[in-house]
Amino acid sequence: MSRLSHHRSNSAGERRALRNGLLFASPWLIGLTVFGLYPILSSLYYSLCSYDGIREPRWIGLHNYHKMFFEDELFYKALYNTLYMVVLGVPLSILCGLSVALLLNQKVKGIAVYRTIYYLPSVVPVVASSILWLWLLNPDIGLINVGLQHLGIKNPPTWLGDPVWSKPALLMMGIWGVGGGMVIYLAALQNVSETLYEAASLDGAGSMLKFRNVTLPMITPVILFNLITSLIGTFQYFTEAYVMTSGGPQDSTTFYALRLFNSAFQDFHLGYASAMAWVLFILTLVCALVVFKSSLRWVYYDGEVK
Amino acid sequence: MTPTYQQCRGVLPLSLLTGLGFMAMGCGANKGGPTEITYWTGWSGHEFGIQQGLVDQFNRTHPGIHVRLISQFGNSGYQKVRIAFAGDATPDLMSTVWADELADYAQRGVLTPLDDYLARSKRDFDKEYVPALRSSLRVDGKIYALAVTTDTSFIVFNKQIFREVGLDPNRPPTTPDELLRASKACTNTRPDGGLIRYGFRPSDLRTWAHVFGGDWYDPSTKRITANDPHNVEALKWMCAFNSFLDPRRAEAFQATFGNEKTTSGPFFVGKIAMWQTGEWAGEYLKRYGPNVEYGYFPLPAPPGGRPNSSYVNGSVFVIPKASSHKKEAWEFLNWLTQEEPVRIFCSTIGNVPPLVSVGEAPRFKNDPLFRFAVGLSRGKTGFGPPGISMWSTYSSEISRAEEKATIGGEDPKAVLDDLQKRMEKEFAETNEDLGRG
Repeated sequence: MSRLSHHRSNSAGERRALRNGLLFASPWLIGLTVFGLYPILSSLYYSLCSYDGIREPRWIGLHNYHKMFFEDELFYKALYNTLYMVVLGVPLSILCGLSVALLLNQKVKGIAVYRTIYYLPSVVPVVASSILWLWLLNPDIGLINVGLQHLGIKNPPTWLGDPVWSKPALLMMGIWGVGGGMVIYLAALQNVSETLYEAASLDGAGSMLKFRNVTLPMITPVILFNLITSLIGTFQYFTEAYVMTSGGPQDSTTFYALRLFNSAFQDFHLGYASAMAWVLFILTLVCALVVFKSSLRWVYYDGEVK
Repeated sequence: MTPTYQQCRGVLPLSLLTGLGFMAMGCGANKGGPTEITYWTGWSGHEFGIQQGLVDQFNRTHPGIHVRLISQFGNSGYQKVRIAFAGDATPDLMSTVWADELADYAQRGVLTPLDDYLARSKRDFDKEYVPALRSSLRVDGKIYALAVTTDTSFIVFNKQIFREVGLDPNRPPTTPDELLRASKACTNTRPDGGLIRYGFRPSDLRTWAHVFGGDWYDPSTKRITANDPHNVEALKWMCAFNSFLDPRRAEAFQATFGNEKTTSGPFFVGKIAMWQTGEWAGEYLKRYGPNVEYGYFPLPAPPGGRPNSSYVNGSVFVIPKASSHKKEAWEFLNWLTQEEPVRIFCSTIGNVPPLVSVGEAPRFKNDPLFRFAVGLSRGKTGFGPPGISMWSTYSSEISRAEEKATIGGEDPKAVLDDLQKRMEKEFAETNEDLGRG
């Protein structure tokens, strides 16, 4: 303690402490500047240029943005496809994740085994699970359609072969991977104090009422967390479409990030892709802010009264 | 080990700073050993092995040069090429560029024109190569690439099915209308409307437009010609198949097709009677459909169209401008594109040879399907990319336009007019970027 206070009064020592501090933080600082800040800022500059990656970028002002909003029909298609996934996929994943967590929160024999089983899919790399689902969704020999045919459905959907069913197929596949969110819900559920349930019981609450008035409010912070992360994740929906459908059929799975990637690395319109990235960033930011703003009304932190 | 080109690049600024002669101290530091050149290829598996065999043979017989072959397989390999060009980190030679992209790179000034090298080595490009490659390996009048393979497109048909539905298996369709009628005759539906088999569904408007006599670009006026009346005719004809093949049902049916490279390929199991494919079909049929009795015919052209057309787009060999061993790279490329290596490579991987003379080899002469394909490749109506720098984008937009009309039911003329408008704009913008205004 005394050494510290001694240093504090000594400006040379202070400078040294600062220098050492910066030195220790430098891997992170350099990393952030070189690999984070610099690319991010250059992408902003490139978004105002025509840039093919080989020749020098040529300044074209807001032309890329103009093209995006007024000329590129695929942009709107990609935006629609992505919003479809956000609007349907995000609530679905929360609903399913939470339901499974509730089921796995029961005191049943062998619960650890069930939990592991439900969590397992989220350990599988996305590319591997995508390939697996390609087989499951195969219209002819896939397990899903074979099962549906056994149930008496004569002409089951062709899933990824049909623009109407391709997105629902991907949503279905997304549900398979709710284990990641489930674990977080489970942790939150186990943190809900027994005394609250006891008090509710004494007041005569049944299990539905207990869920509505005790469980749900107590885990809202975790729901908010999952909502935000899956919102951001879904806006960037990419891998599954890249691996399984390459955006087809008829552009029905051309999601925003896939279109961005193709503009950049297929058409080599790096400037345009940068502009798309910025629009996506702003879009995600606005949605996240709206969710945060609304959360003031529905998220309960410890001991808060609303 | 001799430093690779990439390693040397890092050395460059340092050696300049310290005033040391870079060429003497850096990459030139061979100390009498062979000069190492790096060669990227997109071939993989079995084909990579054969390529490696040829490289080994060259290395044995050319003590002054050592070629290091690196596989850049798959999509990401081809993307890496672009990034390598962007960062000036290209190898000395690469075959990881599609003919489709050649103009794109050539007009951006990152490739070495080969005319002088060819002349010095006394090669007669126009005599050696098949017609389609003579034009598609040239950009703005200069030769930017060579090829060791080429391909052809035609239709393979199932003779048994033809007989079964009353078509003459010895007289396959010779016009688009006949093809349409034959396709209808071969199509079989279940009582509920689901498909059991269809005859033929044309795909690849890019090629069919050419068959119908259309073009996508006019080099004389330097204009995009997406809505050329022949192109519109071709697309209308493609849409006419919807009169007996409900596109939604056909798409659903196609989604059940197995992989062409397995015994469950749609042609092998009789789900389609006619198959638009290329010379590799012979090998596939032998392997996956040995019991199919088949015949083949060229893409049928209407009167005034281009009979025996086929589209050429293989991977091609280029020497990047940034290579510091262009001379050695050329020496290897010159060797690799001679008759003997080309014969070995094409006959073992089952591709049509790009050199006219190699087509005479027994492997190609004795196999009837190959003889037919080689004949097609020598025809005057073979064609390749039009040599404009935005062709990759244009090409994928043509596919989208095709889908919009054939599956989406939009008007063919309107779709191509729209494509014309957009591609004109894209072309103008690219030219502006390249300073070619």
